[in-house]
Amino acid sequence: MDAPVYYSKAEFIETDTGNKVSRRATIAGPQNIILGGKTIISSGAIIRGDLRRTGPGHAVVISLGRYCLVGEGCVMRPPYKTYRGNFNYYPMKIGDYVHIGANAVVEAATIGNHVVIGKNCVIGKFTIIKDCAQVADNTIIPPNTVIPALALFAGSPGRFVEDLPESTQEMVESQTKQYYSRFQPLER
Amino acid sequence: MAPAIHYYCPCQSGESVQTPPPPHMASSSASFHPLHCLFFCEECDAVRCNRCVSIEVSGYYCPNCLFEVPSASVRAEKNRCARNCFSCPICRSTLQVVASDPPDGGDGRPSVSLSNVGEPPFFLYCNHCRWDSAEVGITFEKPTGLAAQLQKFEDSAPESLEFERLKEHFEPFLRTSSLSSSLSHVPSTSSHHLPTSSATAAASAALARDVPGVGKYNPLARSRVGRDRTANKDEMPEYKSRMEIGVLGQLGSEGDGSDVEALRRMELAEEIASLEQRWGNSWTTSLRTSDLRPLRIPLHSKVSKRCPTCRHILIKPEQKAQSVRYKIKLVAANYLPAMTVALPHTQGADAARRPQAKAPSASDDRNAGAMMAGKSYPFHLALTNPLYDPIQVRLSVQRMHVTAVTDSTAPEKARRTPFAISLPTSSFPVAAFAEAWEYDDDDDMFGLEDDELGLEMGRTRDKDGKGKVKTVGVLEKRANVTVVGGEVVIGKEARGYVKFNMLVSYTYRSDDPLPSEDGAGTPSRTVAKTPEVKTFTFYTVVDLGPILPREEKVDPDI
Repeated sequence: MDAPVYYSKAEFIETDTGNKVSRRATIAGPQNIILGGKTIISSGAIIRGDLRRTGPGHAVVISLGRYCLVGEGCVMRPPYKTYRGNFNYYPMKIGDYVHIGANAVVEAATIGNHVVIGKNCVIGKFTIIKDCAQVADNTIIPPNTVIPALALFAGSPGRFVEDLPESTQEMVESQTKQYYSRFQPLER
Repeated sequence: MAPAIHYYCPCQSGESVQTPPPPHMASSSASFHPLHCLFFCEECDAVRCNRCVSIEVSGYYCPNCLFEVPSASVRAEKNRCARNCFSCPICRSTLQVVASDPPDGGDGRPSVSLSNVGEPPFFLYCNHCRWDSAEVGITFEKPTGLAAQLQKFEDSAPESLEFERLKEHFEPFLRTSSLSSSLSHVPSTSSHHLPTSSATAAASAALARDVPGVGKYNPLARSRVGRDRTANKDEMPEYKSRMEIGVLGQLGSEGDGSDVEALRRMELAEEIASLEQRWGNSWTTSLRTSDLRPLRIPLHSKVSKRCPTCRHILIKPEQKAQSVRYKIKLVAANYLPAMTVALPHTQGADAARRPQAKAPSASDDRNAGAMMAGKSYPFHLALTNPLYDPIQVRLSVQRMHVTAVTDSTAPEKARRTPFAISLPTSSFPVAAFAEAWEYDDDDDMFGLEDDELGLEMGRTRDKDGKGKVKTVGVLEKRANVTVVGGEVVIGKEARGYVKFNMLVSYTYRSDDPLPSEDGAGTPSRTVAKTPEVKTFTFYTVVDLGPILPREEKVDPDI
């Protein structure tokens, strides 16, 4: 029933696994970024795969699961801290069916599956977001916060508001899948 | 706002009344819920909502460290996390344990530079508002087990001691009351959380009745003192408080002299703790922000939900706190057809006007969605069948009570029903749900979905253009979705919202019961072995959006 969301075909690159990445997004260090498939990176997004852990060898900096959406103007930056006198970046892992609203800044350590983050949110360093949690629009989550499963957080600082309904998982899954199928190219 | 459909749960209305309240009344929103928030009781064959289900705690956990607290220790720890989780007394965000002289030194805290890296004293630091516990003189020798160290203060507070004494004092009395009402005393597990726990309710009711002034005393604990089993109600000794009331005043918890003096010297509003900051404290605390202490984080609970009438379990979560799976999950979405409503005139206009559109601006959206008074509009209802059997659906609009309308705030505007709804009068089929479509959807969704969407758009626009094509009736069938069209005719003087109650009844055949799938929310209903036709009826409210008064200029696009 829902109308398609059109994008200009020239703007997006589609990969074999169905990821759609805007040419206007800034993808730094793409070799350190994993996209699970059918994930959309909108225009203006900045993904900092270049901020990798020091040390030899290959390092995954940011991994996103399937059916994710990184909204327009989002900044995805791995968290960092100085531990025992050494400054280091730490990987960011994001599960499946995760939508991140436009202009959010995300420095989380872990985001589970079926998570929805609203527009203009700031997700502080080393935040852990469990499955099926949601963050309302314009929420500021301070660093090191833990958001439990099926919780809605809102405000500044973001605090627990309510428990989400039991069917959140199915809802988010169908919404994210639907969004991906609605996200259609327009030849021009 | 986009047009929406909400489903009715009859729990708010009385026993005899089964029809929902008129939709234009503000209070009606309490009875209508989105489908995904509702449950379904198979025993009663009825919709249940969050307001009417009864709730049982099935486990406690700390929302910060996610530790699953055994229910036996919940009470001793006073329902708060007994590990290292604290919330900031100023802004309520989570506090972090930091060592003195933080290693990076540059995070805005130059004041503490007492000792070496990672060395005591440790203190709590707020990442959001930069409050730290050293400000109020709370420091720790070790970075672990902080709650135990702080709980000592809590427990030795005069108010806490007094409360313990009170509990002890009333304990024998409580015990006799509960014995005399011949109810077994429910053991400590979580019973005080339940308003429905009959034993505690009876005990506290008995207490309130027999002891004047106790009011709603909540029997919180059995104490370990097992004496006085036979104590009579008349033998209640007089209670002597631990200390004089005047002593408490010196603790700064009373709004007199010292507070006035403090207020006189205050310069900033922030020096007074806001109501929100003091709200979560167990005892009255001082007015000064500087006296606030970090709070241990209150525990959360996982709950199972039961049908209020037949007590069958509707929701039973898995034991693990952070699991999002359920052992039992009877949600209405698995039983009732899901319905969405759309106004094709807004969609057509939107898509035609700006194919590139990322997100329509708010004002534009509102205008496009609104309907003009004195015109008629088609609307689409899409019904999705969650059952494994095909269903026959019949829709009907609940008649508007004109009297009720005239009762509203502006009586002159609503002499007659402001709008009329036409819906297909005959019943129509919605095909059965099959997993195959899901896979289809998943794999080659592009081509398929693309075509379909394009087609639909095209047809919609045609219809708008000619206005001759039928608008009322079944418009489209695909997979387990049937789209039917309806029409709304809006009166010339109409105002407000096009919002109406709709009765949906569907019949389904359950001839082949699926033996393997039981309990865990199976969409198919195993009613009987013989082929049988059953009907289920429920109410919904359809909100098509606001009506624009005629005076406003007509948008050429619509």
